[in-house]
Amino acid sequence: MDTTQLLKGVLDLAVLAVLREEDGYGYDILRRLREAGLEEVGDASVYGTLRRLFAAGLLTTYVVPSESGPHRKYYSLNAAGRDQLTRSGKLWRSFATTMDSLLDDRGMAA
Amino acid sequence: MTVTEQEITDYVARVRAALADLPPNRRDELTEDLPDHLAEVAAEADGTLVERLGEPEAYAAELRAAAGAPASTRNLDQRVAATVVRFRRRLRAVDTRLGPPLGYETASDFLRLLRPGWWVLRGYLAAMLVTVVSTGGSFGLLPRFGGELLAGLIMLVAFVLASIWLGRRSARLTRWPRAALQIGSAVLVVFAFAALMQAEDRMRYDEYGYDPTAVNNPYDRIRDVFVYDSEGRLVENARLFDQNGDPIRLGYPDCADPAEVYGKPLLRAYPYCPDQAPFGPRAPGAPGATTTPSTTPTPEPTATPSPAPTATPTTPPTVTPTSTPSGEPTPTVTG
Repeated sequence: MDTTQLLKGVLDLAVLAVLREEDGYGYDILRRLREAGLEEVGDASVYGTLRRLFAAGLLTTYVVPSESGPHRKYYSLNAAGRDQLTRSGKLWRSFATTMDSLLDDRGMAA
Repeated sequence: MTVTEQEITDYVARVRAALADLPPNRRDELTEDLPDHLAEVAAEADGTLVERLGEPEAYAAELRAAAGAPASTRNLDQRVAATVVRFRRRLRAVDTRLGPPLGYETASDFLRLLRPGWWVLRGYLAAMLVTVVSTGGSFGLLPRFGGELLAGLIMLVAFVLASIWLGRRSARLTRWPRAALQIGSAVLVVFAFAALMQAEDRMRYDEYGYDPTAVNNPYDRIRDVFVYDSEGRLVENARLFDQNGDPIRLGYPDCADPAEVYGKPLLRAYPYCPDQAPFGPRAPGAPGATTTPSTTPTPEPTATPSPAPTATPTTPPTVTPTSTPSGEPTPTVTG
């Protein structure tokens, strides 16, 4: 199993988590995810996830003009997004705990 | 910024093409922000878009997966449409691949050249269809109208001209006339196949008649079978069987059977026509045979060089003559 496979399930949560503290535009969000350690994540995955979360009504967008480069479209969490983040976060924690104890029982934890 | 507007536009176009099977509004939703997003990406780092993001098709696949737009979410209409698109694309690929061996860019370029030929053939087929309908089933190679060859030929010319006229104008026809023309053409193709099958059957029938044996059968020319015993006497009412006990049927009787077995001519015993035996004389009691080959061990005393021990030359001897001729009469079959 590689990280890409795991990422598929949790990229939503990762993007929501990255946006919790600070709004961001597409490439910025990708960079933050990579800096946090998700190096395999691809630009198209992040862009696609942002589009989907936006379509689901969990994100709002606004455009910030830039003098030096192109306009940037910023994404921010709205109330529904924060709600979703809380619920998905809880689910992830319980899932992660289950997996941890499963691995601990068999003495495989790193 | 090293990435040009044009590069972004091309990249987006290829991503959109790779997502062509999605419903249009879904695809627009996924890609409406893509030019802006790619411009952001381009502003962040060096290198071309392909170097940084990979091929547009791979990008589209990743985007599709991330955005949760798998093929299964589409409804039946869209799936059918996507299948049609895929089929057309594959057809086009085959078209392009088959072209060069034929000496053309695409196979359809070549087929297009054959269209006038098809128009002429279509006219002929239509004339033949009328022939079959008007003469009640029987037909040859030339069209006839109610059995009239001249009328049929006039009809042939008229139909061929009409078919060419229609062919040249088919592109300008409106929907329903064109559909009618296509259905008519399809009917003619089916008719042509049926007629070819029938003609094929008829030809095979004519060639081999009732004989179920294979082509090049060496026994084809046999009309009758004559069996001779070791004394050189013609065996009458002989029956031949193969290793399985099945009767061997050769030839056909062309003279009257004294026993007259009606309806079962092939079950008659050999020879069918004893009078036509190639070697005479016939079995005891037929002294009048005239055709006596030198090899036949004939018991006639006049023709025998050996000293005949019997005093009565008219009685056929029952033993072989002492000076046996070198050649036994071979039970040859003749045709």
